[in-house]
Amino acid sequence: MTDGAASMIRLGIRAASPFAVIVGCYLLFAGHNNPGGGFAAGLVFGAVLALRTVAGFYRPTYGITLVAAGVFVVAGVALMPLLWGGVLFDQQVVSLEVPLLGTIKTGSALPFDLGVAAIVVGTVIAALDGLGAAEFAADPQAPAEQQ
Amino acid sequence: MIGGLLLSHAAVCLVLAAAGRRLGRGSLLVAAVPPAAATVWGVTRLGGEEPAVAHVSWVDGLDLAMTFRVDAFAGIMTLIVSGIGVAVFVYAFGYFSAADPAMGRFATTLLAFSAAMLGLVWSDSVWSLFVFWELTSVTSFLLVGHKSTDAGVLAAARRALMVTGGGGLALLAGLLLVTRAADATLLSDLGPVQGASAVVGAVLVMVAAATKSAQVPFHAWLPGAMVAPTPVSAYLHSATMVKAGVVLVAVAGPALGSLAAWKALGLAFGIASIFWGAVGALRHRDAKLILAWGTVSQLGMLITLFSVGTAHAVLAAVALLVAHALFKGALFLIVGEIDVRAGTRNIDELGGLARSMPIACFAAVLAGMSMAGAPPLLGFVAKETAIAAALDLEGPEAWIVGFGVIGGSVLTVAYTVRFLIAVFGAGPQTPLAPGRGALPAPSVILAAAGVAGYGALGVVDDLVGEAAARLSGAAVGHLHRWPGLTLELGVSAVVLAIGALVGLAVSRRPPRMPADLGARWTDASIDGSVAFGRTVCARVQHGSLPVYLVTMTSVAALAATPFLADVSVDHLVVWHRPLQVLLAAAVISAAVALCFVGTRLGAGLALGGAGIAVAAIFVIHGAPDLALTQLLVEATIVVGFVLAFGHLSRSFPLTGARWRAVRMAIAGLGGAAVVIGLGAASANPSGSPPVAEMATAAANEGGGGNIVNVILTDIRGLDTLGEVLVLATVALGVVALARASSGTASEQSAGTASERATDAASEPA
Repeated sequence: MTDGAASMIRLGIRAASPFAVIVGCYLLFAGHNNPGGGFAAGLVFGAVLALRTVAGFYRPTYGITLVAAGVFVVAGVALMPLLWGGVLFDQQVVSLEVPLLGTIKTGSALPFDLGVAAIVVGTVIAALDGLGAAEFAADPQAPAEQQ
Repeated sequence: MIGGLLLSHAAVCLVLAAAGRRLGRGSLLVAAVPPAAATVWGVTRLGGEEPAVAHVSWVDGLDLAMTFRVDAFAGIMTLIVSGIGVAVFVYAFGYFSAADPAMGRFATTLLAFSAAMLGLVWSDSVWSLFVFWELTSVTSFLLVGHKSTDAGVLAAARRALMVTGGGGLALLAGLLLVTRAADATLLSDLGPVQGASAVVGAVLVMVAAATKSAQVPFHAWLPGAMVAPTPVSAYLHSATMVKAGVVLVAVAGPALGSLAAWKALGLAFGIASIFWGAVGALRHRDAKLILAWGTVSQLGMLITLFSVGTAHAVLAAVALLVAHALFKGALFLIVGEIDVRAGTRNIDELGGLARSMPIACFAAVLAGMSMAGAPPLLGFVAKETAIAAALDLEGPEAWIVGFGVIGGSVLTVAYTVRFLIAVFGAGPQTPLAPGRGALPAPSVILAAAGVAGYGALGVVDDLVGEAAARLSGAAVGHLHRWPGLTLELGVSAVVLAIGALVGLAVSRRPPRMPADLGARWTDASIDGSVAFGRTVCARVQHGSLPVYLVTMTSVAALAATPFLADVSVDHLVVWHRPLQVLLAAAVISAAVALCFVGTRLGAGLALGGAGIAVAAIFVIHGAPDLALTQLLVEATIVVGFVLAFGHLSRSFPLTGARWRAVRMAIAGLGGAAVVIGLGAASANPSGSPPVAEMATAAANEGGGGNIVNVILTDIRGLDTLGEVLVLATVALGVVALARASSGTASEQSAGTASERATDAASEPA
């Protein structure tokens, strides 16, 4: 791979990342009524992080922290209803009037999806670390030359 | 109230875990508050007719509700668990020095144990019982291993955990069999059971009880557990936790008592423990070990009486249960006080304590007399009743039980006499540290309770009688303060005389340290199991990724063979839409190409092609969620490949024809298994898919329009929870592998780790 091609790819990744993050956020919130959800959103965020790591911009190190936080949130959503005498995973639905956006209906599924997304992202980051992402942070060109 | 009490225990546990370091020794007094509340509640409920019931259905659709029921027997156990708990917490406040840094942790664990034990005795659902049973094992392990810097302590803690934890597994299996046979999961609903599986279940439950209650041959962990601080020994290993097995035998008795195997096994465990425990108490020279071996013997007596199961025997057993908790708790606390002040528990180094510790000596004599079964104490009543119950029996059982109860009583008197002479008898005066405020009071109270129980026998008789009637399901007799000139009183007198003579004779014996064979054998069998596990693990987990894959695929293929006959050609449709054919062709050609590609990059591309074609098939079938996820997974995996390729050679290492043929055959096998599975499933539809119901449920209950997602987050939320936990575990595993390989840092191990990590990263698919 030539230097020019590599910098094109890096530029592409840099340019596409914000849009991918927006798509991920959309999937996270849309999941309740449209295709999407925590799993898909987590994969989009994970893919963004993975691409940026490969391009050498960034090397996330908080994979296990994210996984732990996600497990806490997910387990919390599952157990919370028990506190007020409900059963496991009793769904709470909340309707909010938000200026500009109109009525927003959300519920405990949203934090649950957030937790799932955090676990997925954390797993992707852990896998990146396991695959030796550290080398990319040091020198983004190195793997291409090795091959 | 039941739930509130358990939650208050848990809440105080959390507070202590957070603030224990700041509170220091004061944590112990804070920890005494919830047991005190439970004691007060237990006292106010005494004599009530209706059992208190609580029911928490925490997951719909599964028969896993937490159900509690506090009847007369559970009420007595509440007083033992929480009442002695309060005494022990107060005692521990005096026992530990103020400078001990680990007090917060200790108080938290001890309170957690107290809560688990309460949950256990209150449980009506066998599953709650099992959960709390295991919790007591775990907290006991933590408390035995409190001084975690000492290798001997750790070995003892491991022994306790392995034996009681193994018993927990037997309990789970036994409960599954018994509840199936009885078709009930509430202890109060269990009726008499029949059949072979019920017998196996009963045997497993009895074995579990024997491990927890330290019955021969599972007894070795209990003397070993005496390395724990004395409050733990007094509370867990004499008054409460070791009673869990006895409680189990008691509450399961109505259902399983009619099985011959249950009774025979219970009598075998019980009588063997009565004698071997008493022999141990006569051999050992550590005052605490003498008491611990005595506990083994007394627990054997309890198991024997509950296994006999007649109304009279159950009455005696409940009375002995109460008496034992009082006198053994008191004796342990006194030994702990001696340990703190004299700095030793070895009976050869103790002397003149009767003069220097008069209060402790007085309390010990009271408690010892109760243990030996001498009037005017509660132990006397319990033993009289036990002997009378044994004499009531007929046939060979009378001889066996009579031999156990009367022989055991003789030896109990003997080791009590030896204990009192050895600890408080004459000898060179042992130097003592100054006394500590809170230490003597709890033991004196517990010892005096034995006298009070004898004095107010009418009250005790009401409570014990009611509990025994609940357990045996029949009208029971009464406890007698003085039986009159009956046969059992004569037997008692002879027992006391012979026992005292034996005790005097034994205490004259020259000192000799006994070998602890049981502990050695138990440790050897634990080590053997660990070594066996390592060997098997080294064979099975060899680390070769290809062999893992071959094994998994072959097993999946084997699992599909029974369904071969179910596949019916009539139900198989070639295609619904022509586009499917095109996509299927794309998937197949990508898969075949994958087998012939020589480079890793090419293989990655072929895999991606197959994945994208599958995503397109999902779209055709109207499953955009699946397609979206599939595409995203493919994209993420590509990045993973790019990273992994940095460590790997450009081409696959082995590309011979045979290599390829074997792998294609294996892959074909896997494909065939999936085809068979799907074909069989589509040929046998069980009703129509509940899509409409799901859609309604999703909109009404889940409040969402996307059924798939509402299923994931709400309807089958528990499944999703399980799946994301698997994912989290995978992440942990990847990190652990990466750390392990970066530690060795050799080229080869890095490659292996990457390959495994790639495997793990593809898991979300």
